[in-house]
Amino acid sequence: MLELTILIPLLAGGVIMFFPVQLGRKIMIATGLIHLLLTLTVTIGGAPPCISKYFSTTPEGLLILLVTSFIFFFIAIYAGSYMQEVELSSEPLYLGCNLLFLSSMSMVALADHLVVLWIAIEATTLMSAPLIFLHRSKKALEATWKYVMICSVGIALALLGCFLIVLSMDLSGSHVPLTFSSLAQIAEQLDPTWLKAGFIFLIIGYGTKMGLAPMHTWLPDAHSEAPSPASALLSGALLNCAFLGVYRGHQLLYQAGLGEFSGNILISFGLLSMLIAAIFIFDQTGYKRMLAYSSIENMGIIAFGVGIGGLATYGAMLHLIHHSLIKSSLFLSAGNILLGYGSKLVEKTGDMAKLFPKTFIAFFAGFAGISGFPPFGVFISEVLIIMGAFQQGRTLAGTIFILALIFIFAGASRLVMRMSFGTFNKEILVEEKWIRVLPSYALLCTSFILCVWLPDSLYEIILSAIATVGGGING
Amino acid sequence: MIQLTNTLLALTLLSVLLSLGSDRLVSLIKIMTFQGIIVSLIPLTLLFQEHHGEIGAGNVLIFQAMLIIKGILIPWFLFMALKKVKMRREIEPIIGYHASTFAGLFFILMSTFIADRFFQIILNNEHVLLLITAITTLSAGLFLLISRKKAITQVIGYLMMENGIYLLGSTLAKQTHTQYVVEFGVLLDILVAIMIMGIVLHNINSTYDGMDTGDLDSLHDLDSNRSLFHRLKG
Repeated sequence: MLELTILIPLLAGGVIMFFPVQLGRKIMIATGLIHLLLTLTVTIGGAPPCISKYFSTTPEGLLILLVTSFIFFFIAIYAGSYMQEVELSSEPLYLGCNLLFLSSMSMVALADHLVVLWIAIEATTLMSAPLIFLHRSKKALEATWKYVMICSVGIALALLGCFLIVLSMDLSGSHVPLTFSSLAQIAEQLDPTWLKAGFIFLIIGYGTKMGLAPMHTWLPDAHSEAPSPASALLSGALLNCAFLGVYRGHQLLYQAGLGEFSGNILISFGLLSMLIAAIFIFDQTGYKRMLAYSSIENMGIIAFGVGIGGLATYGAMLHLIHHSLIKSSLFLSAGNILLGYGSKLVEKTGDMAKLFPKTFIAFFAGFAGISGFPPFGVFISEVLIIMGAFQQGRTLAGTIFILALIFIFAGASRLVMRMSFGTFNKEILVEEKWIRVLPSYALLCTSFILCVWLPDSLYEIILSAIATVGGGING
Repeated sequence: MIQLTNTLLALTLLSVLLSLGSDRLVSLIKIMTFQGIIVSLIPLTLLFQEHHGEIGAGNVLIFQAMLIIKGILIPWFLFMALKKVKMRREIEPIIGYHASTFAGLFFILMSTFIADRFFQIILNNEHVLLLITAITTLSAGLFLLISRKKAITQVIGYLMMENGIYLLGSTLAKQTHTQYVVEFGVLLDILVAIMIMGIVLHNINSTYDGMDTGDLDSLHDLDSNRSLFHRLKG
């Protein structure tokens, strides 16, 4: 009953819109918990798929499902309290769309069929657009328009990529179902030219959704205008799902013996994203935009790591987990800051260390974590990626990678210092509450725990996920 | 039947050129309706040609749905959206109408080159015109999307792009048993986009006057007073 992970949030999301808000918040948390438990059942292999034509459990899909489900649960706890303070009239819409969004992301993680994957990624756009438009302001409208327009065009191009992959199968003369698992078996017979062309369209299409530069322009707007719990989910879960689309394409090319071609494309997109993030983070005025650019950077890091291959792929998968944990925790803290100061601009905040000590700890620790300081997991993953890059003899790429990391740290730390220790002499609007900082702490602690102790089952999942693109712990 | 297909394709190309040159929103929507109907008929004629009139029930259903959505639902939605705005013309496009028409001609040339250069090997000659039309429609749609400021024209550009993808899909993936993939994908895509864009369009309309996406420029990365450029200027 693998499909239950898709159906349960779908049903709950449909029903929740008609319930009173108070009850709805509880249902959302309960659904999050049920989803998490189901995901764990799926992970230990207790739930075979019913429609194996379209869905299956793959290690990389499981990994992303686990991360999504885990952070959703904590975001749901936070969202209840956050929404109480904001008092939006459209809150039932938020609760419903949030669950539908979870459902569509689970579908992405479990999809095995080329077109089902595409439909699921399209569905995530549909479900998340109302989340961005929740505040109904002019700016929210602008962000939503950009998001829908740019991502729709991107996804349409990805569909073209799917057609080209079908074409490459036609030309090879073989007829199998359009699932990734069966395409993998005949990968070597596929026509290489059209497979390559298909991959280029796929990476442009899904890369738009993933936030790879230069198709990233919707991302800072959408992430800064959405309410903070929604931004946390967009950044921590949605980007991973889009990455899965790119990853499956890369897998197919690797199995067809064209891994070097797709790897090089991934490396260039990754480095470009990091450089663009480094430039734009430097003179940023809003802290949520800063976090959004940091997401672009981290997606770049993941694409880079996967492109390099070998040890770096292992690093990239670790990075995916830790980025989701830390970044969603940061966005939740940013929600507290926004509630407290009432502005998204860095210059209208300050003295956080005194005024909001609990949020300050979460935000500062999260910032240290995302910049790659121990004891958080990003440290390990980035070191592994750098080691992998030099092992493979990619000295230039590795050097650019390190330089971009340094620039981003320098740019972001200026803003974080201003927010934490700068002067602020106005009234604060909303006091912080334990219920709104504990989810951030929990996410950060998970990152810390996974850094010192990685469960064997998770380790196995990562290893089998990266084995399909030629990655491994031994280089 | 080949003659019929080719006539339809020529009409599609004509509608592409017309839409690039039209400045009145009403006539633009009428052209899109026309194009939508033509484009959903083309794969039907192709099927006829291949199977000599034997078309399965599933195919008929899909084509009917396609025709209803492209020929009735979408135009209806666009007219509804247009009714709410006072604006009747696209004023100040980013790229002018004559230049746009010229660009359209250039796209035809370019797609002829692409079809000739890359696809010649894999397709027998009868589908070359189909391919040219598909690539032209696709690129002209993208062009319309980026060269116009009105939200509704951008949606039309998106729809035109989808038409192109649908044509391309039915040319390339036609031979396989997975043919519903194309139709289903495109239908879903269009429905989704129309729903979302409809809601947003409605809101742009009530928040701003006149659905001009040129007004949607308040989100920046840099504070204009503090930007590097201003600093350099002193």
